[in-house]
Amino acid sequence: MRIDVQHISKSFQHNGGTLEVLRDVNLIVEGGEFVCLLGPSGCGKSTIVHLIAGLEKPDQGTVLVDGKPVKGPDPSRVVVFQDAALFPWLSVLGNVEFGLRIACLPAAKRRERALEYIRLVHLSKFVHAYPHQLSGGMKQRVAIARALVLQPAILLLDEPFAALDAQTRAVLQNELLEIWELARPTILFVTHNVREATGLADRVYVISARPGRIRDVQPVGVPRPRHAEDPALLAHQHKILGLLGEEVEKVLREELGETVHFPEAQHPTPPERSLGMHI
Amino acid sequence: MLPKGYTFLSPVLALAMLAGFWQVTALFIPAWPGPGQVLGLLWGNILRPEFQAALFGSMRRMLIGYVLVMIIGIGGGLVLGRIPLVDQVLGSFAVALHAIPGAAWVPLSILWFGMTERAVIFTIVLGAAGILIVDTDAGIRDVPPLVSRAARTMGAVGVKYFWFVVVPSAIPKIVSGLRLAWAFGWRALMAGELLTSVSGLGQQLNAVAKTGRLDQLLALMLLIAAIGIAVDGLIFKRLEHLVRVRWGLA
Repeated sequence: MRIDVQHISKSFQHNGGTLEVLRDVNLIVEGGEFVCLLGPSGCGKSTIVHLIAGLEKPDQGTVLVDGKPVKGPDPSRVVVFQDAALFPWLSVLGNVEFGLRIACLPAAKRRERALEYIRLVHLSKFVHAYPHQLSGGMKQRVAIARALVLQPAILLLDEPFAALDAQTRAVLQNELLEIWELARPTILFVTHNVREATGLADRVYVISARPGRIRDVQPVGVPRPRHAEDPALLAHQHKILGLLGEEVEKVLREELGETVHFPEAQHPTPPERSLGMHI
Repeated sequence: MLPKGYTFLSPVLALAMLAGFWQVTALFIPAWPGPGQVLGLLWGNILRPEFQAALFGSMRRMLIGYVLVMIIGIGGGLVLGRIPLVDQVLGSFAVALHAIPGAAWVPLSILWFGMTERAVIFTIVLGAAGILIVDTDAGIRDVPPLVSRAARTMGAVGVKYFWFVVVPSAIPKIVSGLRLAWAFGWRALMAGELLTSVSGLGQQLNAVAKTGRLDQLLALMLLIAAIGIAVDGLIFKRLEHLVRVRWGLA
């Protein structure tokens, strides 16, 4: 399914004031494409995901999925959140079965399909474990299985691996790619990590700091499997980092205010002086 | 600190210290019975059929009252939490109910039901249902936003969303409400029996006080405390701990 975001703006009420989060955002994800949204923290990436998922409504503009406007959440557009957001009262199996239960699938069929997807994310040994017994990476695997079991046409991933350690993240990235190549859902993957974005995506949308706008679109024309040290990949990263650098500076300036600056000559002792030179 | 593996001894040690202190005071204060004497009396009481009837009477009333409290408290809390209009109209009523101590309901209960067992049960229900309604209602309205979002993207809406997401999210709050409701109900039971003279532990308190037997009175109060602590510790504390661990709150 094709995602078509047209001229979207969104503001929130915040501490009595209005916070403009998105301004005239346009983006397209073709059916079966893997697209990353990349931007500094607080740029409204998650809001874009929520709007496409139908969890929130835009102030202006429309979100079209296969040409039809999004009216609300739908199991054909499932979200994987950063915090896994598992149901703590359900076992791994119960969590993965959840969407199927909502869809009123018969129990036997439900179980069979859930177990198949639990196997896909390599958690067969933990079918009856509860979320509080799992590590962060395992929880995220459950969240992915819980989303995939619904066989969604669109998979929205909102910084799914941001809270994981580097090794776990690399493993899960590869597994996500394998799964994507198997079932070919349309994927929109939100991240603030440049290497992650260029390593995974067909195209990378770079979002500017608040209010979020599309700053640039970078097609990553490097064939998969990709290698982290591939010069073509590094060139893409370099270019995106340049764009992002300006945005990150903007964020810092906005968050810390104009009064905060780091003048060079404020060191208690000049850096060229060595300790004890006056003794 | 006790060494690891021996922490179960801490309540035993606490009890031993309390008993020791009590014994010492009993040696010096005239007409103040020691723990041995009181425990002996308590044991003697428990063997008396008349006392057993009072004990079982109390437990039966408590059980009936508590089942009613669970039905009214959880049911009422679910309705309040589910239907905003009902919450706006009756929510403050539930809070008011929760603000009135169980003992304060006894006169009204007697007025309506006379000096009967029903009056005692009515007291328990009114003394304990309020807190359970308020806690259930709070739990219902306190679904973590992330859990709610995840459920909605998977297609959960309406009644299904309520039963499969909202109610389970509320369980930790409901369980702590159940625990408090039991404690409140137990107090209300004593007050009710004390004033209605329906055969039970509360009525025994009254009867013993009239005879002026301090040792008998202490034996009775010891039993009332022990039952309260035992039910709370063996059932509610464990249940609450299990739920808190599973829900990731502990």
